[in-house]
Parts: sequence; structure tokens; C-alpha cells
Amino acid sequence: MNTKNFLPEQYQSTNKLDINHNYLQQQFSDHDAIWAKVREVVVRGDFTLGSEVDLLEDEYAQLCNTRYAISVGSGTDALLLSLKALGIDKGDEVITTPFTFYATIGAIVTAGAKPVFVDVDADYNINSALIEEKITAKTKAIMPVHWSGNPCDMDTIENIASKHKLAVVGDACHAIKAMYKGRSAGSLGTIACFSFHPLKNLNVWGDGGIIATNSDELADKLRLLRNHGLVGRDECAVFAYNSRLDTVQAVVARHLLAKINHITESRVAHAAYFDENLHAIPQIKIPLRNADKYQVYHIYSVCCQRRDELARYLIDNGVDAKIHYPIPMHLQPAASYLGYKKGDFPVAESIAGSTLSLPVHEFITLEQQERVVNLIRAFYGS
Amino acid sequence: MDHKNIPFVDLARQFRGIELELTQAFLDVGHSGIYIMGERLESFECKAAEFCEVKHAIGIANGSDALFLILKALGIGPGDEVITATNSFIASAGAIVAAGAKPVLVDVAEDFNIDPQKIEATITPCTKAIIPVHLTGRTAAMDEINSIAERYGLKVVEDAAQAIGATYRGRRAGSLGDAAGFSLHPLKNLGGYGDGGLITTNDSTLNARLRLLRNHGLRNRDECGIWGYNIRLDALQAAFLEIKLAKLDAWNRRCREIASAYREGLSSYVQVPVDQSWEECVYHNFVIRTEQRDQLMGYLNKKGVDTRIHYPIPIHLQGAASGLGYQQGDFPNAERYALTMISLPIYPELNDDEVCYVIAATKSFFRRKS
Repeated sequence: MNTKNFLPEQYQSTNKLDINHNYLQQQFSDHDAIWAKVREVVVRGDFTLGSEVDLLEDEYAQLCNTRYAISVGSGTDALLLSLKALGIDKGDEVITTPFTFYATIGAIVTAGAKPVFVDVDADYNINSALIEEKITAKTKAIMPVHWSGNPCDMDTIENIASKHKLAVVGDACHAIKAMYKGRSAGSLGTIACFSFHPLKNLNVWGDGGIIATNSDELADKLRLLRNHGLVGRDECAVFAYNSRLDTVQAVVARHLLAKINHITESRVAHAAYFDENLHAIPQIKIPLRNADKYQVYHIYSVCCQRRDELARYLIDNGVDAKIHYPIPMHLQPAASYLGYKKGDFPVAESIAGSTLSLPVHEFITLEQQERVVNLIRAFYGS
Repeated sequence: MDHKNIPFVDLARQFRGIELELTQAFLDVGHSGIYIMGERLESFECKAAEFCEVKHAIGIANGSDALFLILKALGIGPGDEVITATNSFIASAGAIVAAGAKPVLVDVAEDFNIDPQKIEATITPCTKAIIPVHLTGRTAAMDEINSIAERYGLKVVEDAAQAIGATYRGRRAGSLGDAAGFSLHPLKNLGGYGDGGLITTNDSTLNARLRLLRNHGLRNRDECGIWGYNIRLDALQAAFLEIKLAKLDAWNRRCREIASAYREGLSSYVQVPVDQSWEECVYHNFVIRTEQRDQLMGYLNKKGVDTRIHYPIPIHLQGAASGLGYQQGDFPNAERYALTMISLPIYPELNDDEVCYVIAATKSFFRRKS
């Protein structure tokens, strides 16, 4: 077991490659205004749930077109606190996708509930046609993951949820500014959870997250749950958690929020370029795109033949090709107690075996994109 | 006596003294682009382990999560009971509840810490651990607590949230039980500029489990060994904290100096905290007691001296605890102290004039009355 601090691979590769997924050094070039504001927060002693947090929450709610946005310590905690605010506990079941990041499942398990998986569709998202057969008397919520910033089939999911009286907790950690039939990702379902992890489309320089909802009751509960259950300084209404977004990080988030249109539009444009230039390569399959959805490409991925060889080839040629993620959740060692086996979710397994992610962030240039496309063409000899 | 304004905390003073170093740390972390885990966190963890005289220190998102994570790593959960003090910040009990266990509360002694003589009566077959809280920066009666724990096969988890640098019979807080949880919240003796926490332990198996659990249970980027949590100390905060850690011994010495001055100046007027020969309290708070608490607070406030109460409502009388079955009168010491305690301003940057002013203002209240 690795007892040292585990450093994600995307960080280790920084500086070693020419075309990276990690652009945080470029982003930091803009640090003067941020440090000046951080300094103010420190001098005012406004560290915990300070005024910058309030301002960010107002701006974020506006962006999501929801009544409330409540910031928390991380995207994982956003999911956990949402489940707890909905009263989900031991003995309950939550339906979600096996093709996601660990935190989706970790949050469900931490809340005390059992994750129940449903296979994905060709767009990498939960297959809404397969949800209903998994509903039992214990099911309390559906947690659709808007993977890579691509909204799930929310009409169907919301219909199923309302028919069976289930909550819909959106894992929108990848999906800031994503839209589904004109509705923002934050306004889909009962509640929606976002991550501000450093590599998200909107990020902070540490861990952070935020929850969007229109429910007065959930917003009130979440504000209690994130701050020790405290009503005022001295009175504790309910034993709870400490999961707050640092005020200094709210400064960073607000600074970057002002650029979110540029960040998003760049990603969308870079994705369109790859779509256009890769679709003619027969060994590459571009996921289904849907005109009803505004996909924001936190991750740009395609399915490729000889994926591992291609990834190696790209890395050897200076391109930070990544796999998000090679092992679906039901096949993780952590999931062994749930009793799933290989073959249970064939689509998720097939995508996990062939998906490859290419950088599309706002600092990527056209020349770099051309180079990536040419390398892929060269690899396949096309 | 000229009027002075003495805030309860004033972090701007400390910041000005170390601003250049902090700015450099901010630039270093930013230029590295590594905000999660990484070398800056490791470096702080190594120094913190050295400081606390333990084998392992693990950076955590905050002090509550530090206690929570220790309990989970020890396998404590639903059906289990954990004993702790009723006079503490709510998070001591909150972490137990978050882990799924039941907090069992015990009254405190004169030193505001859990009364070791009252622990045994609360032990049941469900008891798994004791969390002594080193309140105000004073270590609990660890020899007595450890010997009870040993007799009953219980784990001892120090709630050292307020006690970084404190010593007990020559050993540092954090090295006195199976594991310890620290808060590195901005207002603590060692505080970042956002939420932060630390776990210390000498147990290498526990260390490995804690590191796995704090980061999604990830064995590597692609493999999850156990469903875990996301409760990591930010690299940026770790970099700030490393700068401050180098100064902590000096800062703590200054707090003890101020405490001595307060004690000397005020002991004939109010109950003052006393240091036993075997302990060094780091005075996260300097808590005096007086029957005229509210009047004294009001008077000091008018004199420009900002004070606080830590804490006006003991945990067993909180709304959150209503399901635990306690009532008024269950813990007479904690209840009496809650009505008579005041915390005076204490931080290393207070100068001697200000300390004298606080003493003089307090004295003048009692002289005026008599």
C-alpha cells in the first residue's frame, strides 16, 4: 500500500510534456489581484464563511438559475451533505452509474447507503431506460452523473423519480455551465453538486465544492450541516460536519467565475475541432452528441482501438493523453462486497477499455490541437 | 489608565510579521501548479511529526474531520460508544456522531478537562474509545486515562484541537494516545488561512489506513481499495503552516508568559488556571472564573477589552444532544463553569502594555465593586 502522499498522475506529468491536461501554472500567471484580495481577507480575519463566500454563493446561484447555492469543502462533500440533507441513511439505496469518479460512490457509502449501479449508454452517461428495473422499496434517490460535463437524460430521470417519489441528486461535478434543453445543470433534479477541484472548469486552488438547489428546506439544512449544526456561535441544533469553502478560496473562485464564459467556450470550440478532425479516422469512435445538450467538456474523450498503445504513443510524443477511468466502479476492490462481477455492465466496461481523453482547456492552441490530430493519424497510418 | 482597544484575536498583526514569507509560499505553490497533496504537504507533515515527536503526521481538511477519520480508521461506527468531555467545542461530539457512534459524555474537573475519576462508571460493553479533550491547550490527565483504557481495551484518541505544542510529563500533545486530532483553523495557536487539521500517530498500520481514507481510498490513480473520503489539507495551507510551525515554540512561550502575567495579576480576584509541575499548557485560551461573569464581561467590553465564553452551553445541554438523554444537573462542574467562565485575549502579538491594561481593567472592576 502506498503510504506516502499519493500524487495524481496528472500532476506528475506537469512540465514533462508539451501538451498537458494541467494548465494551472498558466492560470496562476494572473495571481496579483488574487493575492491582494487574499491579503484583505487575512487582515480582516474573515476566514470562515466570510463575505467573499456569500458573494460567490449569490453569483453561483445566479449562474445556475437556482434560488440557492451553498459552498462546501469539496465536490465529494457536496454529494455527501446533499444525501444527508435528504435524510438518506443506513439501509437506503441510491441508484447511480458505474462509470464515474470514486467520490460519487464514496459519498453514497459515507452517507450509510448502498450504491446500486445501472449501466451507461454510448454517451458515457447512465442509461435512463435501465433505471426503473433497479428500483426497490429501499431506493431513496437517483444520482445521475453528468459525465465530462454532458447532462444526462434528465426528462426521463425526473419522470421516473417523480413516479417513484425519489430524490434526484445530480453529480454535476464536471458540469458547470452545462445545459439540458435550456436548463442549467445546477437546476436539474432536486439538488445539484459541483466540484471546484483545481482541474475543474471552475476551480479554486485547493479543495472546494458547491451545491445548487431551489429548495428552501434543503438550503437551510445544508447550511447547518456544513458548519457543525450551529445556529449562531453557541447553539448546536444538530450534530453535523465541518465542510466549508475557505474564504480565501472563494476569492479565487470569484476571480475565475468572471472568466467562465471564455473558459467554457474555449473548451467547446476545442472539442468541436477534435470532433471534426477525428471523426474520419475509422479506429476512433466519437461519443454520441446531442443537440438538446450543451456539453462543457470538463473531459474530452473518444473511444479508440488499441487504446493503451495510442496513449503511450501520444505521451511519448509530448501529449498528455489520459484515461478517465480504466476501471469502472463495480470492478473496484472497494466494491467487492456489493457482489458485482465482470460482464455486469458491458457498455461501461467497454468504454473503460477504450476511452482516451485529450486536453481541450482554454490554454490549448490550434497548433497544439493540429499536432495531436496528426499524431493520432500517424499512429493509425491514416 | 488610557483607553485601549484589545480585540480578542488580531491575526493581522501576526500576518504583517511574516507577510514576505507567506507571499513567497503562495508564489511557490502557485507556480508549481500543485494544490492537492504533493511535496509541500509532505514537507509540512514531516515537520509536524517532528514537532509533535511522533512517527506520522497526516494533513486533514479540518480538526473535526481529523477526529472523524481516526474513529473510522479504528473501525468505530454504528452501535459503538465513545467517551468524551461535555465541556468542549461541539465538534468533539459531532465527529463521534458523524462516525456513526454514540457520544457518552463525562463531567470535567477544575482544569476544565475530563475528570478521569468519572470515566469508568460510563464504560459499557459498547465502549470502544475515549476522546480526552486537551481544552484551552492543557493536556488531560493522560496517565489515568491511558491506564483505564488499557484495563478495558479501549483506544485513546486525543482531541488536541487546541493543544499543539503542549506537553505532559515531557511528552508533546499528539504523542499521548493511540492517535490525536488537531485543528489548524486560523484562530488556533498554529492556524492556516482557511480550514485545516492534522492527525498524529505512532501506529504505522493506522497511518497507512488514514492516508488511504482521506483521499477517496485510492491506492493509485485508478484503483480504489476502500470507499473513502475527500478530507485533505490543501497544499497552500500546508505551505503557510510550515512557515508558522517554525515559530510556534516561540509563540507558545509568549502565550505562557502572558498567562503568567494574568495569573499573577488576577489570582486574588478571580479563579485563574494553574499549571501543574508535569504540564506545559499552551494557552489557546486563558479562562478565568468569577460569579460576576456577565457584569465583568460588560465592564471589560466598555473598557475596550474583547472577551469570549468557551463555551456557554455544555454539549449535553445542546439541542443536538436531546436524543442522548441527558438533563440539566447531570454534569454540575461543566454547568457551573459555563456560567462563570470568561476567556481573556491571549495571543503572542499582545504587547506588555496591553497585557497590563487587561489586568488593570479587570482589577478595577473588582475594586470599584468593593
